[in-house]
Amino acid sequence: MSDVPVALVTGGATGIGAACCCRLAGEGFAVAVHYRSSGEKAEKLAAGLDGAFVLRADLAVPEEIDALIVQLKERAGRVDVLVNNAGANVNAPMLAMKIGDYDAVAQLARGTWYLTKLVLRRFMLRRGRGRIINLSSVVGHTGNPGQIPYTMAKAGLDAFTKSLAQELAGRDILVNSVAPGLIDTDMSAELPDEVRDRILERVPQGRMGSPDEVADVVAFLATRASYVNGSVLHVNGGMYGG
Amino acid sequence: MEQSEVMERVVKILTPWAKNPDALESVGMDTNILEDLKVNSARLVDVVIAFEDDFDIEIADEDVDTVNTVGDAVRLILSKKG
Repeated sequence: MSDVPVALVTGGATGIGAACCCRLAGEGFAVAVHYRSSGEKAEKLAAGLDGAFVLRADLAVPEEIDALIVQLKERAGRVDVLVNNAGANVNAPMLAMKIGDYDAVAQLARGTWYLTKLVLRRFMLRRGRGRIINLSSVVGHTGNPGQIPYTMAKAGLDAFTKSLAQELAGRDILVNSVAPGLIDTDMSAELPDEVRDRILERVPQGRMGSPDEVADVVAFLATRASYVNGSVLHVNGGMYGG
Repeated sequence: MEQSEVMERVVKILTPWAKNPDALESVGMDTNILEDLKVNSARLVDVVIAFEDDFDIEIADEDVDTVNTVGDAVRLILSKKG
């Protein structure tokens, strides 16, 4: 097993996930960059980070998560930090949505639960310490028209954070959420202009955040935060304070 | 590996987690881990991990579900050790 601490970042190839990979590598972690479909970007990112490596899995498929854990055991033998960043979204009014749209979002949420269980079982509980950081969203708290499955999943993720932190009482395994607001990523670029402008009107800082500004908070939770547990840290320029 | 040796190591692993020392004194293959030894169910995973580390085996979740008594644990470990 490596002496270097390992951070697994799901959906690590792009956007906030990629920023987290860079920031955690800068903090001395060997980063496992997980991806599903952005293999080329993941490889390129990992090539520029000391000790980083890539792992592919569709988190909607439990067998692929099992295989990812086996690869992690072989490649690193440890996971010190888990950043659950991967998410799925479908933008449409509820009445225009099909049940498959909902399933696509819900299956990813189920995969996050299953991956976390296995990381705990196979790595963190054995070492007696770890940091789990769930990337949720401001819309899990405020709601957002056209994103009902997504808002449900993100609200559920924050509930997962709080419940798991309590279940892990007495161990040095801390679980927190980081809830970004409107961040300048490919996902926010998909929003219609009028929706993005409407959200920005509610941001006192008057601009979108950057992935690096979110990754800074993730890195804090992964390294220096020793008495923050079961919490949701909002990173949204003031649009919502919790 | 002899059953008696596995039994001895299993009981040693269970000892710090058992809240009922009286049951430990008369522990046997039929002793129930949760009901008799009063091991906290939330800590059962720690016991399983200790089994894995001590015996150098891997125990699947489905296997954990079959373990109720000390004897269940002993038989499971013996089956994993071949």
